[in-house]
Amino acid sequence: MYELKTLLPQFDIKLPTCMYNLKNVSLSADPTTSTSSVSCASFGLFQSASEFSSSINSRKSIPCALDLDFLGRQIQHLLKDDTVSVAIRQDKIIQQLQGLKTQLGKIRAGLGICGKTVQHTTAFQNGRLKEVPLQDIVINGHPNFIPYALLALKNVWRALYTVNVKTFTHSTMADIGPAAREFEAEMDKIPVNNALPNINVTLIWKNCEHTEMISSPTMYLPIYGEVNVIRYLGRVGPAEYRYEGSPLCNEIDLVLDICYQLLRCSTHKAQVAMVRLLDQRLKQQYFGGSQMSVADIGVHSSLIRIPTITDKDLTPALLAWRKRAKLVTQI
Amino acid sequence: MVEDKENVESGEQVSKKGAKKLAKAAKKAELKAETATAIAANNAAGDNAVDTSAGRYGLSEMIQSKDKLTERNFVAVHELGSHVEKGLLWVRGRVHTSRSKGKQCFLILRQQSSTVQCILAVGDIISKQMVKFAGNIPKESIIDIQAKAVSVPIKIESCTEQTLELSVEQIFVISQAKAQLPLQIEDASRPENADDEGLNIRVNQDTRLDNRVLDLRTPANQAIFRLEAGVCRLFRDILTEQGFIEIHTPKIISAASEGGANVFTVSYFKDSAYLAQSPQLYKQMAIAADFDKVYTVGAVFRAEDSNTHRHLTEFVGLDLEMAFKYHYHEVLHTIGNTFTAIFKGLRDKYSREIESVGQQYKVDAFKFLEPPLILQFSEGVAMLREAGVETGDEEDLSTPNEKLLGRLVKAKYDTDFYILDKFPLAIRPFYTMPDPSNSTYSNSYDMFMRGEEILSGAQRIHDPEYLIERAKHHGIDTTKIAAYIESFRYGCPPHAGGGIGMERVVMLYLGLDNIRKTSMFPRDPKRLTP
Repeated sequence: MYELKTLLPQFDIKLPTCMYNLKNVSLSADPTTSTSSVSCASFGLFQSASEFSSSINSRKSIPCALDLDFLGRQIQHLLKDDTVSVAIRQDKIIQQLQGLKTQLGKIRAGLGICGKTVQHTTAFQNGRLKEVPLQDIVINGHPNFIPYALLALKNVWRALYTVNVKTFTHSTMADIGPAAREFEAEMDKIPVNNALPNINVTLIWKNCEHTEMISSPTMYLPIYGEVNVIRYLGRVGPAEYRYEGSPLCNEIDLVLDICYQLLRCSTHKAQVAMVRLLDQRLKQQYFGGSQMSVADIGVHSSLIRIPTITDKDLTPALLAWRKRAKLVTQI
Repeated sequence: MVEDKENVESGEQVSKKGAKKLAKAAKKAELKAETATAIAANNAAGDNAVDTSAGRYGLSEMIQSKDKLTERNFVAVHELGSHVEKGLLWVRGRVHTSRSKGKQCFLILRQQSSTVQCILAVGDIISKQMVKFAGNIPKESIIDIQAKAVSVPIKIESCTEQTLELSVEQIFVISQAKAQLPLQIEDASRPENADDEGLNIRVNQDTRLDNRVLDLRTPANQAIFRLEAGVCRLFRDILTEQGFIEIHTPKIISAASEGGANVFTVSYFKDSAYLAQSPQLYKQMAIAADFDKVYTVGAVFRAEDSNTHRHLTEFVGLDLEMAFKYHYHEVLHTIGNTFTAIFKGLRDKYSREIESVGQQYKVDAFKFLEPPLILQFSEGVAMLREAGVETGDEEDLSTPNEKLLGRLVKAKYDTDFYILDKFPLAIRPFYTMPDPSNSTYSNSYDMFMRGEEILSGAQRIHDPEYLIERAKHHGIDTTKIAAYIESFRYGCPPHAGGGIGMERVVMLYLGLDNIRKTSMFPRDPKRLTP
């Protein structure tokens, strides 16, 4: 799914003091304890309410229920209630709850429902919505249009996130050629660190028109174009490279769109025009800021894919940027 | 009634118009009679006339190896292209069709999958009688012809040799077929797409199998069995290259190798024996006997009364077993790569056959990945669950689930071949090695083609004590498998293997719908002949 862009910058919203916070029930990890705590609370309320009403009932003999004296006495009585009696009451409640729990357990066993807890596809982690079972993805690429971005991301994310790429050759490709073989070898050089969060990527050399990405044939449509694959990986990758929350989001998207157009250009003239557009967007050290982002990866890998664009076509700023990017992406 | 009426009419009055009509009719009848007598006379004259081409045609006497006739230069039909306008040559083939019309006879000669058009026209060398003879040779007869290859201006669409035809000078029938055929080759080789206009005659499966000799002559069948030979050849070549040794295992055995049910019993002198349902035991014994890597190609028998599109009671098993160093994936990768190499070999060397089959049975080309795709069983289950199928973690794949998973894998990875690794231990035979890290799984694997299982294999337990423990866990009487267990008592390397059914692999590779199409003389619960 796409996260929606935040239209407003994140203000510090000042809440009025007359409100009190409700505990976020779903934040607690274990659903069983959360429900029990909720029921405990409600049970407690119920208990005290019933006690209160019973105490009222017991005093029904007194003619005026709303007697201020009586009310005052009642409050005083409640306030005087020492901690011991509160503790006793709580123990009683816990005991009752325990009894309820065993009773429910018996019912559940009698029904033969499996003991597994409900599996959630999404869960809150560190306050951020995160997909738990991340789909293995398949990328179909033609050896003539090598998705260098994969290698770049793998290199850049080396210490943050593992992009575990396995390569295959489809039967429609008789030979993948030297460039693709070299690319495979470069991929294999990067060690796989299983301790880091990772995504499994199956790269298939195939006689296909576009670079396409399939994550789940039953749930999602394929994603076409290398740039869009970068966008996807940027979303599931390390938090440092998720750009949707950043104020530079639009800028990064714009640069990626230029890359997309650049790869589609058929004439050299059009390509150079696109490069000029890119030059205009490069205002700081990197595209859209002083930090390396997925935009830089997109531009860098796109430029490698177009061998007709030589250093001559690049401006000094772009050349300097390219050197910087090369140090990080190592292609 | 009508005649009476006419008589009455003619008796009463003959109008001018009527008279004219009658005269015309009379004249017509006269002419007709005249031509008839002329034709009869002609025919008589023709038959009796001196046959200018006597000795150039006729029924050849039964070949009993009397003469060698080495001077006759025979050319295969598919090589005719290089003999155009190069004088006389000999061709032996079958009469595919022949039709004579007046002074010409067109005959299509078939040699295996190749066909060529032959023409006989009355002329200096060829007499009328010869043309008539050629037109009357029954279909499917074997003939020898001497002819000149001539190029033609317009492509002949009905033949495989489209740019040339044979101008016949001599024609002899070597072996004559019966005039009435139980099925027409043309019908049997008609493409199977329903939207075809024109004749839509089909030959049903049983008629085909009853007359298998005729049925096998169709181009598609010729190609299927050539490709099947290719599968065996590639299997042997690829494994031999990797240091495997072909062994031959006995087919008559004393005890059932797996389970005990579904074996055929045969009388064995005063006792009874069984037909082997798997060469597994013997493969393993060969491993224990230090052959390291072995394979075997041979008949396997299953007495299962399943009348499905993919079961036979006798089929050809291609089995292999291999000792490994530390991890059974050494074997898994060997088997997987063998398959890929077979598929590549078929794709590259048998493209003509595949195309030929494709002309009759429309199917998509077989797709695969190199190296082969290996998925974990649990991943497969996850894919099925995502597609909305309820299936347990330790539950075997049902046939519909198997097919669905095949489709899902195809949609995601675009491959018709994949391997599923780490099956649950509970659904595998007792001799399967459990997974060391998770006892619910085992070191076993299945391979699939177009969503159907073709191979089932595993790392076998090679430790006799552990084998006994596992057998007991499965409630198997260890005294019955004593010999099997005993064979591991003298030291045995860790090993794994698997086996495939040749017919099933060919069927699925070509995408055919019935295994009987890929077995030359299939055996199933209802068929023992031919």
